[in-house]
Amino acid sequence: MLKLLLPGLLCTVAEKVLNPVIGMDPDAHSRLNRLQGKQFAVRLRGIPLRLVFTAQQNGIWLNSHDEPVDCSISADLSALQQLSDPSQLTRLIREDKLQIDGDLQTLQQFSQFFQQLNPDWQERLSIYLGDAMAHKATNGIQLLQRSIRQYLQQSDHNLRELAQDELLLTPVAAEVQQFSQDVSAVAARTELLQRQLAGLLSQSRAFA
Amino acid sequence: MSEQQHSGTQDSTHFGFKTVARDEKVSMVANVFHSVAAKYDVMNDLMSLGIHRLWKRFTIDCSGVRPGQKVLDLAGGTGDLTALFSRRVGPTGQVILADINESMLNVGKDKLRDLGLVNNISYVQANAEALPFADNSFDIITIAFGLRNVTDKDAALRSMFRVLKPGGRLLVLEFSKPTEAWLSKVYDLYSFKLLPAMGQLVANDRESYQYLAESIRMHPDQDTLKQMMQQAGFAETSYHNLTGGIVALHRGYKF
Repeated sequence: MLKLLLPGLLCTVAEKVLNPVIGMDPDAHSRLNRLQGKQFAVRLRGIPLRLVFTAQQNGIWLNSHDEPVDCSISADLSALQQLSDPSQLTRLIREDKLQIDGDLQTLQQFSQFFQQLNPDWQERLSIYLGDAMAHKATNGIQLLQRSIRQYLQQSDHNLRELAQDELLLTPVAAEVQQFSQDVSAVAARTELLQRQLAGLLSQSRAFA
Repeated sequence: MSEQQHSGTQDSTHFGFKTVARDEKVSMVANVFHSVAAKYDVMNDLMSLGIHRLWKRFTIDCSGVRPGQKVLDLAGGTGDLTALFSRRVGPTGQVILADINESMLNVGKDKLRDLGLVNNISYVQANAEALPFADNSFDIITIAFGLRNVTDKDAALRSMFRVLKPGGRLLVLEFSKPTEAWLSKVYDLYSFKLLPAMGQLVANDRESYQYLAESIRMHPDQDTLKQMMQQAGFAETSYHNLTGGIVALHRGYKF
C-alpha cells in the first residue's frame, strides 16, 4: 500500500542529510554553481529504484523517476564504489558492470563534487560545544577514524596471509596467474581438437 | 456516481452533501478556507499523519520536473508543492502559486519567504475555471487537493488544458475512492467521526472539517475523473492509487 511512497521517503531523508552537510562545506556552493541545472541519475542493479540528483545553487535535490536526464548510470554497488577512480571507468564498462547514458562530463562533475565535499564539522560542533571542546572532539574522532582504518587494513592483511600461507585455503596471485595460463592452454588445445574432428567428419561424409 | 451527479444541475451544485446554488458555492468554499488557513498545515499533518508530504513527493516524481521549466501550482494553498518545485526548477525556471483564496495565498507567501524561497516564485489570486494566463504557458500544472472544491470542474480542466504547453502535463492529486471495502469502512469512520472532532479541537472549526469529509465523498472517483480529463482534451491519461485509493494522482498530457 505504501510501495509507491517509499522512494519519496528515501529522497526526503537523503535530502535532509545531504544538504546540511553541503552547507557545512564553505567551498561547496561555488562548486555547486558549476553543476547548476544539471541532472544525474543512478540505478542500482537489482533494486527497482532510480535516483535523480538535481544540482541547484541552494543544494542537491533528489527525486525518483524514469524521465530523461543529462547523465544516467546503471551499476552494481561494487562498481559504484570504484567510480571515484576515473581510470576504472573503461574496465567497468567493458566488464558490463557499469552502463552510462548521456554526458560523461556530468558524471565526472558530480563524482568530483561528492569526493571534494569537505564539511567543516568543527565549526558546526563549536556552536554547541564551544571552540576548545569542538577542536578536541574533532581531533579525537579523526584519531579514532585513523586507528580503525589501520586496524581494518592490518586485519585484512593478516587474514589474507593466514588463508594463503598457513591454511592454504586461497591461492596466491602467482598461482592464480599460472592456473589461468593453464586454462587458456587447455582451451586452445580443445579448440584445435574440435577443428580437427570437424575436418575428419567432413572427410568421412565425402567418402561415404 | 455519474459526472452529472458530481457536478449537480445547471443552476445547482454540491457543497459537501448539501445542494446549493452555483453562485453560492464559491463564497461558501471561500469561507471554509478563510477559516482553516491559519491551521491548515498543522491539520494536514495531523489528519494524514504526515503522509500528505509523501503524496506530494510522489506528485513531484511523476511531474518529471527539470531545471528551467515553468510550473503552475494551482490551488497551491500553503505552498508545499511550490517549495518542492522551486528548488528543482532553479533560477532559470519559474513557479506560479495560484489560489482563489486570499487567506491561503497569504499563508503560503509567508511560509515560502520564511523558507528563503523568493527568487523564482510568483503569486496569483486566480479562479481555476478561468485562468488568467496566455495559451500554452506552462510545462507542468499541478492541482493538489483543490479540484474537488471547484464548482465547474470541467471548465477548470479545459482552462488548465488551454494554458498548458504542448508536451506539458497536468497532475491532479486528490482524495478518491478506497479500493478495499474494509479500508472504505475504516476511512468512513475516521473521516465522519474523528476528523470533525479533530477540527473542533485543533482549529475550533467542526463544520469546515465536516465539509472536507463530505466533499471527498462527492468528488468523482478515479475512473470518472480520468474520463473528465480525456473530455477536456488530455491524452495518455492515467492514475496511481496512493494509500489504498484514499488519494489518487491523475496525470494527463497535452499533445
